[in-house]
Amino acid sequence: MSKASKSDSLLSLYQADGHSALRIRLISGGWGVRRNLNQMGLHVGDVVSVVHRAPFGGPLVIENRGSRVAVGRQLAEKIQVEVIL
Amino acid sequence: MKVALVGQPNSGKSTLFNAVAGYRSLTANFPGTTVEYAGGRARVNGEVIDLVDLPGLYSLNPANPAETCSREFLLAGDGDVVVNVVDASQLARSLELTLELLELEAPLVLCLNMMDEAVRKGIVIDVPALADALGVPVVETIATRGQGILETFRMAIRLQGKRPSSSPRAFPYAPEVEATIQGLAEALGAGGRTGDASHGQDFLPEAGQIRQLDNVRPSDEAAAPCVVAEPGTTAEGAAKFPGLRFRALQLLQSDPQRVAQLDSATAEAAESAQMQVAKHLGQPADVVISSARHSACLNLFERVARVARPRTDWREQVDRVLMHPVWGYVFLALIFLGFFRLVFDVGKLGEAHILAAFDGLIAHLGRLLAPSSLGFAVAKGALLGTAGAFAIVLPYLLPFLVGLSVLEDAGYLARVGYLMDAVMHRLGLHGTATIPILLGYGCSVPAVMATRILTSRRDRFVAAFLAVLVPCSARMTVIMALVGFYLGAYWALAIYVLNLVVVALAGNVLARIWPEVAPGMLMEVPPYRHPALRVVLLKTWWRLREFVVVAFPLLVVGSAVLGLVEFLGWQALINSALAPLTTALGLPTAVGLTLIFGVLRKELSLLMLAQALGTTNIHSVMTSAEIITFTLFVTFYLPCLATLASLVREVGRKLTAAAATALLVLAVVLSLLARGLLRLVM
Repeated sequence: MSKASKSDSLLSLYQADGHSALRIRLISGGWGVRRNLNQMGLHVGDVVSVVHRAPFGGPLVIENRGSRVAVGRQLAEKIQVEVIL
Repeated sequence: MKVALVGQPNSGKSTLFNAVAGYRSLTANFPGTTVEYAGGRARVNGEVIDLVDLPGLYSLNPANPAETCSREFLLAGDGDVVVNVVDASQLARSLELTLELLELEAPLVLCLNMMDEAVRKGIVIDVPALADALGVPVVETIATRGQGILETFRMAIRLQGKRPSSSPRAFPYAPEVEATIQGLAEALGAGGRTGDASHGQDFLPEAGQIRQLDNVRPSDEAAAPCVVAEPGTTAEGAAKFPGLRFRALQLLQSDPQRVAQLDSATAEAAESAQMQVAKHLGQPADVVISSARHSACLNLFERVARVARPRTDWREQVDRVLMHPVWGYVFLALIFLGFFRLVFDVGKLGEAHILAAFDGLIAHLGRLLAPSSLGFAVAKGALLGTAGAFAIVLPYLLPFLVGLSVLEDAGYLARVGYLMDAVMHRLGLHGTATIPILLGYGCSVPAVMATRILTSRRDRFVAAFLAVLVPCSARMTVIMALVGFYLGAYWALAIYVLNLVVVALAGNVLARIWPEVAPGMLMEVPPYRHPALRVVLLKTWWRLREFVVVAFPLLVVGSAVLGLVEFLGWQALINSALAPLTTALGLPTAVGLTLIFGVLRKELSLLMLAQALGTTNIHSVMTSAEIITFTLFVTFYLPCLATLASLVREVGRKLTAAAATALLVLAVVLSLLARGLLRLVM
C-alpha cells in the first residue's frame, strides 16, 4: 500500500460513525496518551467498535474485546482508525 | 505471612478482600475509587494472613497517585505472595497486568474472578492450560458469592517463599529488546545501585505524583503506608523481587522526559537503551514493549480461551436507554430527583424524631442545672451542637451514603460521567465530577467526600469548590424562608439561577488559574452489577465513621463556645466587630451574630435572625433589598464547619483556606453588587 492511499483511508475515531469494526492504526500524542490508552487495553492494531456516542461533543463508548471504555472527544481525535466493516 | 491483592479497577479485588477481612475496606465499581490502602487479617488453615488490598491499577506504569502507591508497595517486595485478581470476563485485557506482574518474579497466584460473568459473555477458559502457560497457580472464583476464595488463599500459603516456576522469559521480547534489557540491567548492577533495588520510588519520579502520595491516605491505622521500603531493609530485600531485569524493563519503557531527570549515569544508560530499541525496531521503546506484551497477551488468550456467542442480556437493553442521547438525560434527571426525594423524606422523618428527643434532653438539663448558670449555657450549647450533628446531618447523610454506594456499585455513576462529560468540560472538569456537584445540592459534606472519585488533585479541588458553591439543602431553607417567603418564588429561583451562573464562571476562572491536565475522559464503563448488600453497608459505615470523627467534635465544641458567648453577653461585641461588614452591605448590625452561627450550621443563620432582630416578621424590620442581600451573603460566604472539616481532609489545609477566602470575597462582592443594583430598581 502506498503511503498516500494509507493515510487517505484513515480517519479519526471521533469522526468514524456507523461502522461496526475499526482498526486502530495510529495514536498521535505523547508518551502519556499512549500509556493511558494502552492501559485501557487499546493498542495500535486493535479492532474496536463505537457503541455509544454522547451528544454535545461528548465522549464515545468503544468496545474492544468485550470491555467498554468511554473516550473523550479530545482523546478520540488523537486516534486514527481504518474502517474494516 | 503477607499477601498483596493486586488487580485492575473493577476486578472485584475489594469484594474478595471484604469476604475475608471484613469491615475494614471499601469496594467500588468506579475506576479509581479504591484510593486507600486497606489492611486486614484473616486465618486460613491455621495460618494468619496479613492482607493488603492495593488500589486498583491497570499496569505497573502508574497513571495516578493511587496506582503509584500500589506500584511502590510491589516494588518494595514487601508482600510474601502476590494475588492477582482478574475479571475473567475481561481476560484478554487483564492478562497484560498479569504478564507485567510475572516480570516481578514474585510468588504469584492468579485469581480468575467473576467466572459467572465470563460464562454469560460466552468466554470458556482452559484453566489448566492458562496455569501451565503462565507457570503460576490459577484459581477460579466468584467473590460475590464467596466461591473459590478459600482455595485462593490456600494456594497463596502453599506458594510462600517460592518463585514462579516459569521465568518472565517465558514471554520473551524480540531478541534485540532482550539484549538491550540485559545490557541495561548489567549497567544498573555495575552502578552499585543493587542495594536499593527494592526502593522503587527513586528511579522513576512521576512528576507531581510522588509529592501527592500524602494525599492518598491509608484507610485506617492498620493499613500499610504508601512508601513502603525502609532504607534499612533493602539489603535482604535486594535478594527478593523485583530483580534488575525488572528495573531495566521499567526504565526502558518510561517517559523519556522523566528519565532525563534521573541521576546522570542511570539516565545515560536508559536513554541509550531506549535509543537502541527505537533504532532496531523503528518505534519508541515504550511502544515496542507495550505492543509486544499486548500481542503476547492476545496469543495467550487465543490459546487458552474460546469465545462462544455471548448471550445478549438485559444489560445491553438498559444501556440503550440509560446512555441514549435523549432518554439518558431524562432518566438521569429522574434517577437523581428520586434519589433526593428519598434522602429528604427519610431525612425529615429522622430529623423530627431526633430533634424532639434532644429538646427533651435540654429540658431535662434545665432541671438539673440552674438555667442562668455558666454550666447550663455551655452544656446547652454542646447539646445543641450534638443535636445538630445527629439530627441535621445523620438522617440525611445515612440514606444518602447508602444510595450513593448502590448507584456506584451498580455501575451507574460511570454512565453519569459519560453523559455529563461535555457539560462539565465547560467548567474545566470531566464528566465524573458531575457527581460531587449534584450532591452539593443535598449536603456539601458528602459532596466534598465524593470528590475522591476523581484522580487528579486539581480536579478534586475544583470539583469540591464548585460543589460547596452550590446551595446545599440548609441554604435552600434560608433562601426559601426569606426570599421565597417574603418576595416570592421567582426571586428565590433567580438566586438559584444566579448561583448557576456563578458556578459556571468560577469553573471557568479556576480552569484558567489551574488548567486541566488530563487530556480528556478515558474511563472504563463497567457492566451493570448487582450491588452486594454487605459491601454497600460496609462502605456506608466506613464513610459515616469518617464523618463522625471529623465533624462531631467540631460541631459540639463550636456550639458550646457559642453558648458561652451568649452567656457572657458578648453578642454586642461580635456584632460591633462585624459592623464594618454589615454596614457595608447595608444590613442591620444585629445580623452579625447570625452570620457566625451560620458557620456552625447554615440554617442557624435563619433561626438566629428572628432572635437577633426580635421579631419573626423579618420584612417589618428589613427591606426587600436587605433580605436579598442577606440571603445572597449567607448562600455564598463560607461553608459550614462540617464542610470545612471534610474539605481539609480531602484537599488539605492550604487549599481549604484558599477556598474559604475566595468564597468570602465572592460573597462580599456579590452582595455589594446586589445592594447597588437593587437600590436602582427597588
